Amino acid sequence: MSIRDRPRPRIGPDNAPFWEGCRGHRLMLPTCAECGKAHLPPGPVCPFCLSDRITWQRASGRGRVSTWTIVHKAWFPAFRDDIPYNVVQVELDEGPRLTSSLVSLSGRRPEIGQRVEVVFDDVDDTLTLHRFRMLA
Amino acid sequence: MKVDAAIVGIGNSSFGRGLPDSQLRLAATALKNAIADAGIERRDIDGLSIHLGSPIGVDYDRVAEAFGLEIRYVNQSWLHGRFVTNALQHAALAVSARLADVVACVTAISFTRERGFLGGPSDFEGNREEGGTHGEAPPYGLTAPAAGAALAMQRYMHVFNATSEQLAAVPIALREHAMLNPRAIMKEPLTLRAHQNARMVVDPLRLYDCCLISDGAVVVLVARGNRAKNMRQKPIRIAGMQGIRSGRDEFIFAPRGLGINQQSTRASASRSADQEVFASAGVERGDVQGFYTYDAFSPLVLFALERFGYCGAGEAASWVQGGRIALGGELPVNTSGGLLSEAHVGGWNSICEMVRQLRGTAGPSQIADTAVLQWGTAWGDSVILTAGADRQ
Repeated sequence: MSIRDRPRPRIGPDNAPFWEGCRGHRLMLPTCAECGKAHLPPGPVCPFCLSDRITWQRASGRGRVSTWTIVHKAWFPAFRDDIPYNVVQVELDEGPRLTSSLVSLSGRRPEIGQRVEVVFDDVDDTLTLHRFRMLA
Repeated sequence: MKVDAAIVGIGNSSFGRGLPDSQLRLAATALKNAIADAGIERRDIDGLSIHLGSPIGVDYDRVAEAFGLEIRYVNQSWLHGRFVTNALQHAALAVSARLADVVACVTAISFTRERGFLGGPSDFEGNREEGGTHGEAPPYGLTAPAAGAALAMQRYMHVFNATSEQLAAVPIALREHAMLNPRAIMKEPLTLRAHQNARMVVDPLRLYDCCLISDGAVVVLVARGNRAKNMRQKPIRIAGMQGIRSGRDEFIFAPRGLGINQQSTRASASRSADQEVFASAGVERGDVQGFYTYDAFSPLVLFALERFGYCGAGEAASWVQGGRIALGGELPVNTSGGLLSEAHVGGWNSICEMVRQLRGTAGPSQIADTAVLQWGTAWGDSVILTAGADRQ
């Protein structure tokens, strides 16, 4: 990776279905076939009951902003032109939280509790990032 | 096995920004100073508990080789604030179990030469499997540990109606402490106005809510109690300990139950499980005369105070007002200035300050009649130090 490039997710056996789902514009959650609970980040076993039987279920794609920040410092050259940019954690309706960003914020500050819905950002042929848009 | 260990020597390099010395050179200076402080010989050191580098540093064998040590016990972890307590505790456990007689806790940091590691392109931490442990999300531009503290503080402010102005009390108090400390890097007074006018780094953290990026080394020597009695310095007893708390309800830079990452949203007051260190040391929380904590970001001080029950959940932002955590206040915090204003030596600079306080050699920062001090972190590990080598 050149320092001019944006970091990409490190995709491995446990989280590959998650990022493959994003490429197909589907937000997929690892879900335990035994206890029924969904979890993030994707792990090798269910963190609640330690079962190996993980199935991938399509999530509703909806949730609420649970926390946020706006980054003002250029830690990475690749993000310099985006400053200031937002990063949020979204608590999905299914329970797990994931870190993403809001689209179309147009200078406003994110709000905790804001209802949001997933959208997909096709970065290139091999990577699609999830982002979220605000719901009324 | 009972823990029977004392700090018998401390040493540091100079602290600064852009120091020309290698990390090993800084460590060598700190080691020599610690040996002289303890009044022992280099050959008396037979254990190492180290976390060097930022985060890349040498392993224990290079340290032993470079400094001509003969070692029979090693504990090694990363240079992360989260492993300061761990390194000190392993030293105490090792001497108590007679795996070593004198363990040198060594850390050395050259942050200014290796800035790219701190949230920059060289920082591979966030690219470990499923990301870094401060909430890093590199594809979304969240690449530095500060981001984790920001995500936590933002939600804390929302849930508990805390403000940036309240948070400012933390760096302001620590700056007052640094101004009494000739080793400290920051010498200028910090006002609320300056705090509020400083640039935003990662909302809601402003410049002075983020610690120094600095260079320096510290060595702390730990020996078994009976051996410590015969050394030059008054032994500072490692009287009680509790380990790191971890699990899905924990996030390194948030109180339990704040709802960061996969934490629950069941915030609660400090539990007895968070306060085992007091019984371990045979003291009450009210006996603690000064509190020392990892203050890489000012919210971490609030979270640590709540963790150990100095105030209730969500109360710390108000609790720290009115000089309560400054010297002369009810519970002075990080009396040498901490990472926010003295230097970032992982937190070992504050461990050294605790030792000076308990020896009664802290100079203008001295807390009167110091007998019991606590080191405790936002992630729940802790060590209580007391004056004297004997068990109570």
